[in-house]
Amino acid sequence: MTTATAVPPPPPPDSVVRPAPAPRGKGRGALGTRPWVAACFLLPALALLGALVVYPIGFSVYRSLFDASGHGFVGMDNYQEVFTDARIRTALKNNVIWVVVAPSVATALGLIFAVLTERVRWGTAFKLVVFMPMAISMLAAGIIFRLVYEQNPDRGVANAVWVGIHDTFAAPAPFPGAHPRPTGDLVASGDGAFATKSAARAGSAVALPLVAVKPEDVSGARDAIPARDVAGKVTGTVWMDFSRGGGGTAGKIDEGEKALAGVTVEAVKDGRTVASTTTDPDGTFTLPTVADGARLRLPAANFASAYNGVDWLGPSLVTPSIIGAYIWMWAGFAMVLIAAGLAGVPRELLEAARVDGANEWQVFRRVTVPLLAPVLAVVVVTLMINVLKIFDLVYIIAPGSSLDNANVLALQLYQSSFGTDVNQGVGSAIAVFLLLLVTPVVIVNIRRIRRDRQR
Amino acid sequence: MSLQDTVVRGERSLPARLAARLGAGATRGFLVVVGLFWLMPTVGLLLSSLRDKSDIAASGWWQVFAHPSQLTTESYRTLFANDKVTHSLLTTALITVPATVLVILVGALAGYAFAWLDFPGRDWWFMVVVGLLVVPVQVALIPVAKLFSALGIFESTVGVVLFHTAFGLPFAVFLLRNFFAEIPRELLEAARLDGAGELRLFTRVVLPLGGPAIASLGIFQFLWVWNDMLVALIFADSGNPPITVALQQQVRQFGDNVDILASGAFLSMVVPLAVFFAFQRQFVSGVMAGAVK
Amino acid sequence: MRTATRTSFRAARASRGRRRAGDGAGARRGALALAVAGALALTAAGCGDSGGDKDKSGDKPAPGRSDLITHTVQLPKLNGQKLKVTAVWTGVEQKSFTKVLDEFAKRTGAEVAYVPSGDDMAAFIGSKVAGGDPPDVAMLQQPGALREFAGKGWLKPLSEEARAQLKKNFPQGWQDLGSADGKQYGVYFKASNKSLVWYNTKIFTAAGVKVPATWPEFLRTAQAVADFGVSPVSVGGADGWTLTDWFENVYLSQAGPEKYDQLAQHKIKWTDPSVKDALTTLGQLFGKKELLAGGQEGALQAQFPTSVTQTFSGGEKAKAAMVFEGDFAAANITAAKAKIGTDAKVFPFPAVGGRPPVVTGGDVGVALKDGQAAQALLTFLASTDAAGIWAREGGFISANKNLDLASYPDDVQRSIAKALVSAGDSFRFDMSDQAPAAFGGKPGQGEWKQLQDFLRNPADVEGTQQRLESDAAKAFKN
Repeated sequence: MTTATAVPPPPPPDSVVRPAPAPRGKGRGALGTRPWVAACFLLPALALLGALVVYPIGFSVYRSLFDASGHGFVGMDNYQEVFTDARIRTALKNNVIWVVVAPSVATALGLIFAVLTERVRWGTAFKLVVFMPMAISMLAAGIIFRLVYEQNPDRGVANAVWVGIHDTFAAPAPFPGAHPRPTGDLVASGDGAFATKSAARAGSAVALPLVAVKPEDVSGARDAIPARDVAGKVTGTVWMDFSRGGGGTAGKIDEGEKALAGVTVEAVKDGRTVASTTTDPDGTFTLPTVADGARLRLPAANFASAYNGVDWLGPSLVTPSIIGAYIWMWAGFAMVLIAAGLAGVPRELLEAARVDGANEWQVFRRVTVPLLAPVLAVVVVTLMINVLKIFDLVYIIAPGSSLDNANVLALQLYQSSFGTDVNQGVGSAIAVFLLLLVTPVVIVNIRRIRRDRQR
Repeated sequence: MSLQDTVVRGERSLPARLAARLGAGATRGFLVVVGLFWLMPTVGLLLSSLRDKSDIAASGWWQVFAHPSQLTTESYRTLFANDKVTHSLLTTALITVPATVLVILVGALAGYAFAWLDFPGRDWWFMVVVGLLVVPVQVALIPVAKLFSALGIFESTVGVVLFHTAFGLPFAVFLLRNFFAEIPRELLEAARLDGAGELRLFTRVVLPLGGPAIASLGIFQFLWVWNDMLVALIFADSGNPPITVALQQQVRQFGDNVDILASGAFLSMVVPLAVFFAFQRQFVSGVMAGAVK
Repeated sequence: MRTATRTSFRAARASRGRRRAGDGAGARRGALALAVAGALALTAAGCGDSGGDKDKSGDKPAPGRSDLITHTVQLPKLNGQKLKVTAVWTGVEQKSFTKVLDEFAKRTGAEVAYVPSGDDMAAFIGSKVAGGDPPDVAMLQQPGALREFAGKGWLKPLSEEARAQLKKNFPQGWQDLGSADGKQYGVYFKASNKSLVWYNTKIFTAAGVKVPATWPEFLRTAQAVADFGVSPVSVGGADGWTLTDWFENVYLSQAGPEKYDQLAQHKIKWTDPSVKDALTTLGQLFGKKELLAGGQEGALQAQFPTSVTQTFSGGEKAKAAMVFEGDFAAANITAAKAKIGTDAKVFPFPAVGGRPPVVTGGDVGVALKDGQAAQALLTFLASTDAAGIWAREGGFISANKNLDLASYPDDVQRSIAKALVSAGDSFRFDMSDQAPAAFGGKPGQGEWKQLQDFLRNPADVEGTQQRLESDAAKAFKN
């Protein structure tokens, strides 16, 4: 349905195949018609299915045994390539992740939602909201999630939230990215902090020049002023040592250079911090006498780069991120099926368990879930089949730089079948392989019909 | 040791009731949060489509809450000024409606035959059709491209319609056969006695009785075809593509075309969402076809 | 807009490559570089007024008014015939190209549909060829693809009329690029100079830096801008091709044209020391987080258009100071509401070795179907009329030597075009575009992918070389 990739979500294989009671009576012939009448009724369907579904299966099997040109018989070589080619193996590996993770997470969420909404008055509204994404195309969902996963936290909502949470626990630095010029007295002292090489002396003001301060971080700052020499105290200025329109003189407070306010300055003696202060709005700071002879250190917390969030669509996270989009679309499917199943669970059983003193979790765990097991199985299997064919979401969401890392079989099939380096032999082999993966479900279905018929 | 032994039977203690009340509050709170979370991506798309391209590039959609003046229909005007988009929506409709009608018609004919007509190997044929339910469309891409090429319907709406009809049929036949099989036999026999031929019986009795199932099937097929991209990408007329393909052609430079993509994607969702909200019941019963009958 | 970029030239085809390898060729290349530099310096001097030209020059007809556009080419009447044309262009470029097609439709009566091919043109064309109904005309991005398609028999040779137009308007080098196995298939409608660095003048002024001429100066400039507090260089690393262009410019300037041609044809391996040097040089930029807008991760997330717009939108508040790429970036700069010639200026790619590199690209129109209409369109694309239409829109450079330079909307683009035309064929064509597409032209694979991984981890020069070599060996099948 909503997926270009799938046949309308295959009716849950299990139940689906619970045919209505077969008409009985005169033999199995329902109304005693002649076979040619039936043939007329069946012809359009069988012709379409034969030409566009059955014939292609045969063709793919046949084609998969030939090379790229279609003339040279290569036996099983194409299948071998499917399992040896590095890119196709990535696709296989990703498909395994998809098949394991997506259906189970979607079903688990569906179960939770179904159970929780059961006793909430506006449960239907909630269900509608969660179910709604099923109605839209994977292309639209793909565009939606391209926006969600946008890396820049100013634009992508996922990173905006993530960074927001992060920054609540670790306040952002006042001057991210700032650092001293490589030639000055301030040098990196490890872990992103900077320290003076020489010891500070009380009564003689220290200059602590920094550069690479983002213009927006000093846009409203005052001009820096040299600190006064105060007897018995260590004083100094921290400022942005870069004048607009040219660097100015390195290490000197030129006209118009901005003060850096709120920078933490520590005095360190023998590895121990003996005093600490922060700079005033004019960039100056004053440390007590104890700082005399200490080295001044600007700790890393002043300069830590702003936390930029997670690279959702980068090579390592791209598949989980796309699976997230899929779950957004399909958890509603699981929820609705499970909710329907839940409606069929006899109330008395639950009540009895409650009366027996079981708490809600126990009722859920020991009664509800076991009773729902058949429905859960149907949901999981349906989603697995659906997930095997996933194409659009990956094709739309994965950016070029991580498309390879997000590869899945259906996408590889498309790329092998068309485009540069076409090898329709390999494409067909992947198609046959996909078909083989869903065959067990067909067999289960058919068995079930058989059984029901024989009843 | 049974549960009774650990918990006092009958009337619940005050703490238990409190916990239950708290639990109910937590449940509600949780559902509200999840609901908002679920809505957020869609809302984000809608608000993005209502902002200027340079605003989208500069900041996230949530900024409109702080700066409502950013709201503009510029993207939509750009979209509609380009008659290709309106055209592509029309193409989508021209593919979707026939593919839905055809699958219902052809599927109902076959479903009726499987339910009530007599022919050798009936059950066997039915199983084959049901077995085809899970065949991935990808299997057919190459062979059907060659076939359509030979028939001269590659790069055409007709080809896409036929493809969707064929791949919608297994589900259609399955669903309708099961539904038709439950029509009371007496009804059909009475009609027969009245002298109705097979075709008349089918159109006057079976089809009308199949209403609910046909509705479910129709909704399903409609949404599936409307939302399809892959099939149209390969078989549709690339010069006059349906909306999904038209948008896919623009995805290449996502950031640069984000205005068209956001508004176009939202536009493409309007019809399916309307159908979804109008026919939720049928949609859900389609989803559950058979499962919970 | 990969546009012009993805094009490349066959300049390095073996014979011509060798011919050009001589001293004379080198001198000519140098001359071109100088010409570009000179022309640009002129612009930098402040005479860039954009937009005004079309109205001022009285003899320059307003675009879109067919009766005023000079008719230098005879086209057949094609009433009722339908044509499908595909290219990767979307957005601004799609708009401009559509204007060209509209003019063709107006003159011939044919119905022309433009189809953006999406990200993967080869897959798009491949799927349509599989069904026996490809688009009539495609604007291919790589000569590698042209050769590949010609080899498969997908392309139709140019008609006599088209060849005549081509001969009249294009230097031999550009004609050769559109041919395979001795047959002329393609028209290099759109060309590009991919050795340009665009910069935000306001940030340069604020940081007090000057235009660099050599790689060390470039790095110093970048550092100074970083010290000022703005990210100096914006890299559109989400599109792998921008990275191959970075590499090619460094490599051409550092290793020289001979090695460049050899590497382009995979006659030397990617494990060659010259590749190591080039990657190490590139690593001096890519390896320093503070020199890249958003650091390495940010660069990998930025697609080309974003990389340009973030350099120019907001004037002095832009996120970066410089962006490297071809002339076609002009379209994105305009889209970012910056004015070329005042807000945005350009300098030639800095010399890493003796001479600054000049790498070019282009898009080549080919016919995938028989028929008068397809050939007529290619004839039109080879004409001065067609080139003039897009030139007026901006973001377009033509190698057409008869195109009036007044057609270009501003002095920056005019100077780039002038340099290209006067250079004839003394330059090198984009290396990755000459390679088989599996190596040089596909997202997520081959050179694109390996250089993205290199940008992620610029310390791993050796590993990158090895992976490049193994991908190249596979794609070149040797």
